[in-house]
Amino acid sequence: MHIDNQQDALPLVPAGIAAEAGETGPVLAGGHCPHCRRDFFPRPRHCPQCLRPPEARPLSGDGVIYSYTVVRTRAPFGLPQPYAVGFIDLSQSGLRIFGLLDQGDIGRLAIGKAVRLNLGPLGMDGKGGPCRRPYFSLAEREGDDA
Amino acid sequence: MPRPVVAGVGMIPFAKYPQRTLVDLGAEAAFLALKDAGVAPGRVEAGFFANAVGSRLFGDSTIGQNVLWEVGINRVPVVNVENACTSGSTAFYLACNAVAAGQAEMALVVGAEKMCVPEFGLINSGESEWDTQLGLVAPASFALRAQRHMLEFGTTVEQMAQVAVKNRAHAAGNPVAMFRDPVTVEDVLAAPMIVDPLTRLQCCPIADGAAALVVCSEAVARGLGTAAVRVEAVVLGTGGYESPQDLARWETDYRVCAQAYEKAGLGPEDLDLVECHDAFTISEILHYEALGLCPPGEGGRFVAQGHASLGGRVPVNPSGGLLSRGHPVGATGVAQVIEIVAQLRGQAGSRQIAGAKVGLAHCMGGDKAGDTKSCTAAILSI
Repeated sequence: MHIDNQQDALPLVPAGIAAEAGETGPVLAGGHCPHCRRDFFPRPRHCPQCLRPPEARPLSGDGVIYSYTVVRTRAPFGLPQPYAVGFIDLSQSGLRIFGLLDQGDIGRLAIGKAVRLNLGPLGMDGKGGPCRRPYFSLAEREGDDA
Repeated sequence: MPRPVVAGVGMIPFAKYPQRTLVDLGAEAAFLALKDAGVAPGRVEAGFFANAVGSRLFGDSTIGQNVLWEVGINRVPVVNVENACTSGSTAFYLACNAVAAGQAEMALVVGAEKMCVPEFGLINSGESEWDTQLGLVAPASFALRAQRHMLEFGTTVEQMAQVAVKNRAHAAGNPVAMFRDPVTVEDVLAAPMIVDPLTRLQCCPIADGAAALVVCSEAVARGLGTAAVRVEAVVLGTGGYESPQDLARWETDYRVCAQAYEKAGLGPEDLDLVECHDAFTISEILHYEALGLCPPGEGGRFVAQGHASLGGRVPVNPSGGLLSRGHPVGATGVAQVIEIVAQLRGQAGSRQIAGAKVGLAHCMGGDKAGDTKSCTAAILSI
C-alpha cells in the first residue's frame, strides 16, 4: 500500500473546487472569460454572456464576511455540529460566494471581518470516508479581534 | 384570448398521514375540487400534477396520471410538474396558460406531497450541488438573509418572531392548518435554535397534504353556477444567479412581483390579502418588501405594527401560512390559491376579510448561487 498518510492525500469535496498553490496558500478554482472580462466561481462550462469556454482562473480566497450563520441542527455529510457557513466577499475578484467557515471561529464571527481560505479535513465524502473541504478562517492579524 | 378563472377548489387538512399513499391524498383533493366545481371528469381537458419529493422518497414517477385516473380523468394531456416549493404554483401557471391559449377549456391542477417519513432530513438544493456539499441547507440560506437584514435595517429577532405569532393566530381560524394553537414571541424565541437566528418555530414544518383546483375559461365557468374567481395575472420567473447577490434586497422576488402587478394592471394598494411563501419568518419580511407592501427594509416594523395581521392594512397569510398550515411542498402553491379563492368567495369563516375583492398568491422555491430558482405570483379577483 502506498497510501500517503498525509492530509493532502485526502480527496477534496467538492472535487476540483480549490487547489493548493504553494506559498500563497490555497486558491479557489474559478473561471475567467477573457472576452467578457468576467470572473466566475465555480468555473462554468460556458460564459453565461457569450457562451465561449471560460479559462481556468485561480481566485484568491482572501475576503471579508458578508453574512454568516451557525447551523445547530443535524449536520449533513459528517460535518461538525454545530458548523458555520457564510457568504464571503472575495477581495480580488469581487465575487460573493458561499462557503464553510472555520469551526474554531464560532463565537468570534462577525460581518465585515477578514477571512482567508484553508483546505483541511472536514466531514465525509459521498462514500462516508474522510475528505478535505475548503473553508474560510478569520485572518485575525494582531489587534483584529479586540 | 380566453380569460382563466378558478371554478372549483378542494384540499385535505395538512397533517401526517402515515397510513395513506401519495396517490390517495392527491385523488381526494382532486375529487373535492371536481365536486366543488360541479363538473364530471369528462369535462377536464388537461391535467397538471405537482409533486416535489415523491420520486426521491418512493421511487415513483408519472404520479399525476395515477392520481387523475383515480378521479376518472384519462386520455387527455397530463403533465407532472416539479419546481421545488413552487411545484404547485407552477402547475397552476401552466393550467392558466393552457386555458388562456385555448388548448383546454378546463384543466385540473393537483398538488400533493407525502414527506412525513423517517429520515427525511432537511431540504437542500440537491446533493450533487457544490454548495450543498459545503453544508448549505434551506434554513441556512434564509438565516444568512436574516443576518444581513438585521445589520442593514435594524430588524430584530422579536420582529421576526412576530411573523410566527401572527400566522399562528391566523391559523386558529383555519381548520385545514396543521398547527392552530397560539404562540407568543417568548415561545418563538425560546424554541430550539436551528440556524442562528432562526428557532424551530420560525421554520415551516413538513407535512403531508394535497390540494386541487379546477381552472377553466370564463365562458365555461358561466355555465357551472359556481362563483368563479378571475385570474388577473400569473407569472413565473427564475433567478438571475449572478454574483454578487444582495441577500437583503431579493432582486428575483422584486422582479417577479413587479411583473405580476404590471400584467394585472394593479398595484400593492389594490390588494385585500396576500398569501406568501413564509418558509421562514424572515422570508415573509423579505416578501412584504418585494411585494411593495412596505418600503425596502421596513418589513420588520411592518409586521410588528400589525399591518400584516387580520384587521391590519394588508392581511398576509390569513390561512396561517406555511409556518402554521404546514408545508407539503408540492401542495403548498395550490393551497395558497385556495385560500385566496375562499376569501374572495366569502367562505373563509372566522378568518374572513370583509369585502375582499383582490388577492395575491406568492411562492418561491429552490436555491442556487444565493438566489431562488423559481418564484411565482398570481393575482386573483372577484
